[in-house]
Amino acid sequence: MTRVDLGRYYVVLELPDGASLREVQNAYIRLKKLFTGPSITLTPLEEEFPKKKRQRILHEIEEAYLKLRAGLIESPAKAEGIPSQETDSRVPEENRLDEITFSGPVLRKIRERLGLTESVVCQELKMRTEFLRALEKERFEMLPQEPFLKGHLGIFARYLDLNPDRVVADYLRRYRAWKDKCPAAR
Amino acid sequence: MPQTAKPEKEGEIWAVGGGKGGTGKTFITSSLGTYLAQKGRRVILVDMDIGGANLHSFFGLDRPARSLTSFFETGATLSDLVVQTEIETMSLITGDIHSLSTESIRFSQKLKLFRQIMKLHAQNVIIDLGAGSHANTLDTFLIADKMIVVLAPEIIAIENMYHFIKNALFRRVKNILKDYGFKEIVQHVWDRREESGVKNIKDLIDHLKDGFPYIGTILDDELRNFQIYLILNMVRSNQDIQIGASIKSVLMKYLGVPIQYVGYVGYHDAVWRSVRERKPFMMNYLTTGCAKEIETLVENIVQARDIAVPGGLT
Repeated sequence: MTRVDLGRYYVVLELPDGASLREVQNAYIRLKKLFTGPSITLTPLEEEFPKKKRQRILHEIEEAYLKLRAGLIESPAKAEGIPSQETDSRVPEENRLDEITFSGPVLRKIRERLGLTESVVCQELKMRTEFLRALEKERFEMLPQEPFLKGHLGIFARYLDLNPDRVVADYLRRYRAWKDKCPAAR
Repeated sequence: MPQTAKPEKEGEIWAVGGGKGGTGKTFITSSLGTYLAQKGRRVILVDMDIGGANLHSFFGLDRPARSLTSFFETGATLSDLVVQTEIETMSLITGDIHSLSTESIRFSQKLKLFRQIMKLHAQNVIIDLGAGSHANTLDTFLIADKMIVVLAPEIIAIENMYHFIKNALFRRVKNILKDYGFKEIVQHVWDRREESGVKNIKDLIDHLKDGFPYIGTILDDELRNFQIYLILNMVRSNQDIQIGASIKSVLMKYLGVPIQYVGYVGYHDAVWRSVRERKPFMMNYLTTGCAKEIETLVENIVQARDIAVPGGLT
């Protein structure tokens, strides 16, 4: 998906072309809240914004967010040649995000795309920097046992607004493959 | 300050309106003017709050001998009514106090007034509008290069402001189409709004664009300049500050007009005490907390950009 294609979605979220994923997320959360609930800014125009119209607006916001997220998350993965399954250019755009394997390096790219530094993430998620680095670099031997790892991955995935089930499944597949090859770790 | 007869179109006209009274339009007008004048710009403030004029009291002036009354009653020239303030590069045309009401201004007087406002010898002319959405108020608002709206973070002020902007836009659209000889078309579409699903002014514009591509181009061109600058006054919390961003989004969806949320001014007890007691505070307010906020407002209006809301728009 090219930047031009994303242009109209940026308009829906009232953002300039090329805004970062973090800005996209903030705009999405703000607009969704605004057009969902009653507020002193929307209530005076209640008659102009009947339920049906608000649902249409919310739908547009949702669509714009999903498209932008897919476009922005996918492009760094592709640009860096990060191991993802072969992307077929004929596959519809919205499916591409589903084909990314959430490996450590991919998670790092997504985090950087969101403009989140290691220290910000660690502070907000109460994580140690060494743990985050090991996670992103797939230094599996430095990671805690599976149940703990799973918990941390879930928190991290939600924080990046990714599907936690998929992130956990992808990451653990790689983790287990390493464990199988390395008997000492068992 | 002597006013030369030389017409000068370098001057930019700013109009400060917003519908509801008591939101601080006059305070904002005087603050914008003071900031610009202290930057060395030649500024003339015009008090158009017909019937409720009090801009002069913000500068410690009693009811001056010269006011807009002379313009309407004796046909005085606007540039002869300019009164100097304590700030060297700023002067003032004081409003009429009691003798007039907005509705009683004749059409020909209005046009004459607008012509003379455009010729005032200043780099910035800032017009303080009264409350309400009367046609004369809207027309004055619409002659401005920068259309500024002031509101307080409370529901009635917001409601009145929506009403004010909607009426201003509707009036602008009607004027544009009248100029191009399409006046009947608006009425035609409006009369049949049930069948065409036109519910509001945005629908009307969209419908006109669809049905008459030529009108669509004209409207697009002319409405590109319909830019509103939003100022939130008497802000008390971070949550209040975010209201500006919400209003911008709602107005985009409602009317499709571009809004710049240029900034806010906090609630300052000292300021409001001075206003209530009619004590001049302009000369020393710049040392108080709102100086920085005013500076941000003016710079964002000049640059036509939004304020960066602290903490992000979440």
